[in-house]
Amino acid sequence: MLTSDLIRPRLRMQGSTVSVEMVDEQNPVLQQTARDLIELFKQHIGQSQSVWEEALDIYEGSRVDYVLIRGLAKVLIDGAEFTPLPTPLPPATLREQLFSRGPVFASHDLLHPTTRQEALEEVAGEVALLPQDLDALLFADRHATYLLSDPGPAWTPATLLARYNLELARGVLYWASHITIEASSNYKDLWRYIKLFKLMFWAEPAQNGGYRIDLDGPISPFVSATLRYGRQLAAFLPALMICDSWQMRAHVYPPQGRGEMIYRLDHTCSLHSHFKRSGEFDSRLEADFAHEFEQKIGNKRGHWRLTRESEVVLLGDTVMVPDFVLTDTDDENRRILIELVGFWHPQYLRRKIEKVRAANCPQLLLLVYKGLNVTGEAFQDVASEVIFFQHKPVMKEVMQTVESMTQRIYGPRPKRKIPKKRRQPQEQE
Amino acid sequence: MDASVFFQGGTLVLHQSEQHIRDMEHIPAPFQLVKSRWRCEAYHYGPLLSWFREQHIHNNVPRWQRLALKLHDTRELHDYQVKALDAWEAAARRGSVVLPTGSGKTLVATHAIRQVNASTVVLVPTIGLLYQWYCLLTNAFQTEIGVYYGGEKRVLPLTVTTYHSAGDLIAEYGNTFKLLICDEVHHLPAKTWGEAALMTPAPYRLGLTATYPTELEQGGDRWELDDLIGPIVYTQRLEELVGKQLAEYRTQRIRVNLTADERVAYDAAYAVYTGFVNERGLRRSHGPAWLHELMRLSAFDPAARRAFLARQQAQKIVESCQGKFAALEALLREHSGERILIFTESNAVAYTIASQYLIPVITHETHVAERKHILDAFQDGRYQAVVTSKVLNEGVDVPEAKVAIVLGGGASKREYIQRLGRILRKKEPLQAVLIEVLARKTIDEGKAQRRRVPREQC
Repeated sequence: MLTSDLIRPRLRMQGSTVSVEMVDEQNPVLQQTARDLIELFKQHIGQSQSVWEEALDIYEGSRVDYVLIRGLAKVLIDGAEFTPLPTPLPPATLREQLFSRGPVFASHDLLHPTTRQEALEEVAGEVALLPQDLDALLFADRHATYLLSDPGPAWTPATLLARYNLELARGVLYWASHITIEASSNYKDLWRYIKLFKLMFWAEPAQNGGYRIDLDGPISPFVSATLRYGRQLAAFLPALMICDSWQMRAHVYPPQGRGEMIYRLDHTCSLHSHFKRSGEFDSRLEADFAHEFEQKIGNKRGHWRLTRESEVVLLGDTVMVPDFVLTDTDDENRRILIELVGFWHPQYLRRKIEKVRAANCPQLLLLVYKGLNVTGEAFQDVASEVIFFQHKPVMKEVMQTVESMTQRIYGPRPKRKIPKKRRQPQEQE
Repeated sequence: MDASVFFQGGTLVLHQSEQHIRDMEHIPAPFQLVKSRWRCEAYHYGPLLSWFREQHIHNNVPRWQRLALKLHDTRELHDYQVKALDAWEAAARRGSVVLPTGSGKTLVATHAIRQVNASTVVLVPTIGLLYQWYCLLTNAFQTEIGVYYGGEKRVLPLTVTTYHSAGDLIAEYGNTFKLLICDEVHHLPAKTWGEAALMTPAPYRLGLTATYPTELEQGGDRWELDDLIGPIVYTQRLEELVGKQLAEYRTQRIRVNLTADERVAYDAAYAVYTGFVNERGLRRSHGPAWLHELMRLSAFDPAARRAFLARQQAQKIVESCQGKFAALEALLREHSGERILIFTESNAVAYTIASQYLIPVITHETHVAERKHILDAFQDGRYQAVVTSKVLNEGVDVPEAKVAIVLGGGASKREYIQRLGRILRKKEPLQAVLIEVLARKTIDEGKAQRRRVPREQC
């Protein structure tokens, strides 16, 4: 992420809103700068960080767009890897030995019978190094001496500028006390990142579908507008951008200081996340289940549509995202949530059972792998239905249970008014 | 399901079933229902303990360890230090001790740690002081000491951190420390710095300072020291202690010439820089903030940018001119066998000197263990000289040097006095000397003039 001095000059304030001045990724002049830097960086593979910094200084010269140049360079550095020179002994040990002979000079005098070169040779002999190598390794633990070993992603001018824009947006959140987001897909990844960055959230269903989520940190409610979690919020931001549709409202206290300001972003902005979406399926079991449903039931037989992780069960300060939702295509209100409990660590399972209990959710159907050594007892005070299976869930049994559950929860099925043919599974994506 | 309380990111969280909550008479005041959980700031832990017991709430907060510390510091406590400790014990190990600078506050702290004999975190305002506490605790307890700041993060049962980094440390490890010590505790009411104390559940707290903030000074901010640390338990005034004795010293200035090439480059850069500043009348229009204005302009005005770079260039020439290195070399030869401290303006020059003369160097990059090694070895004579940039300026104990050589520095009087203090803090009287090496007819001379402090004011 960029340092705050690279963000500050690009903050723009108007009324009570703050924004950050982003760059046009297609602008040929900016692309040229990006191209120069990518090229220059590649030329420095195998060179030390300080040599790279000097080259960057020279490139920058007296240009006034140094905030951009340094920002792009920071993105390059962050994606790259610098490795310390291999040393036979820790550099601090080498220094200890050499410095105990100093101060030394290029020439002798009465009180300094040893020259610098002689001191180097003496110590080099003791540690089995060449004097010039010893000289080079003296400060090998300073980052300035690390060598550029891997320049990171294969940047193009456009991708580098795009990433720079994303980092600018993140940077605004350094001064954020809390943010409110609305999102309507990809929940599992969202929760995963919220947890990863140790943020606290409060979620509720939004009017237009999806969820509205407040994000801050544990101490936030007790201190007014702490900026303690700004870095975590900034780190989290790209997670939001892997949702298909989202918006964000951040409460920001810019360092230029005019009190609280609002920073807004939504999915219509051109920013792209570099976070990876988690795979289509968390486990083989889920993939197989979806596949079998498609094969045996699909939209040809029956009246159910299977969607993946499209609903959230809110449980106070935690959530549960069931693996699948079966929606009755004749009456969208008739829904059954399906959670597959497969091959897992006992601790994970315990947490899962606790969550299921807390959910107290009659429309939840649990498919539990028998080999797990869980008995019916574990699920005793759970409102949900449970089906145990040996190798994989039996589709027929599952669908029968689903039918009887819907009957029980929602009452008898309404008479079908719409002919089957007109149903389109297009809402899926 | 039984109710329990646990620590999370600086808060205490009640974990209980709906049923249990209904059964409880009432949840006491500091707890608030936040996002469906009862939660409060962790510093309420001590006062809440009896309520947890009463309600049979399982206490999952403490993760602190009992230790088997042995104090290896053989210095005997002064009367006032004993009284301070007794007063702190009598106040249930909560509160602040106010003692004048140099009267051994830290010795009170090490004894407090030994008495509590459990994992402890020490908060200090600067990295310099962090380093000093690291040495002190290492020597006092002869055990590994953790440090947590920008440059290093190692958390151990005894850990020192800066107020700046404390929030992150406490959010993660707050419940692993039973005793919280805040050095220079008067900083605590500051906006963000108090948060760390707020987020710590440690039941035992000790504040140390020479200047306790008045109620007025505290009132402007968000929390009061008495809430966070406890009341003042002991105060000792300065006049009651014996004054410190300063060593004899003299100052000396050495002026060096730029080489012909350096002079040409310097004059050209200086002309660009001052030309712009004068032409735009920045000093007139912006007063002391003129430099800030120059930086602001340089983000879009090419002439301002060139002026700013020219200024940097001029400073660089002055700081690393050949004459200064020649003078340094002569001084090192002349003062052979004496303890010498060398001050530079930038890290780059400090490392150049270290490498050229094989002299140990301390900068902000130097980790605590190596710092300790360098200063210990300087103290016992294994190292004759140490070169440093700005890091030793802060209120840090450094072995007395006989010679201080200032190769570069700002115009700040404060820095000058601090550097002077490095050679003045003496046990035995001996003539010390502070030598400033200046480049003739450059910005160096003006700075030296401005930082000059009449002797009687030092």
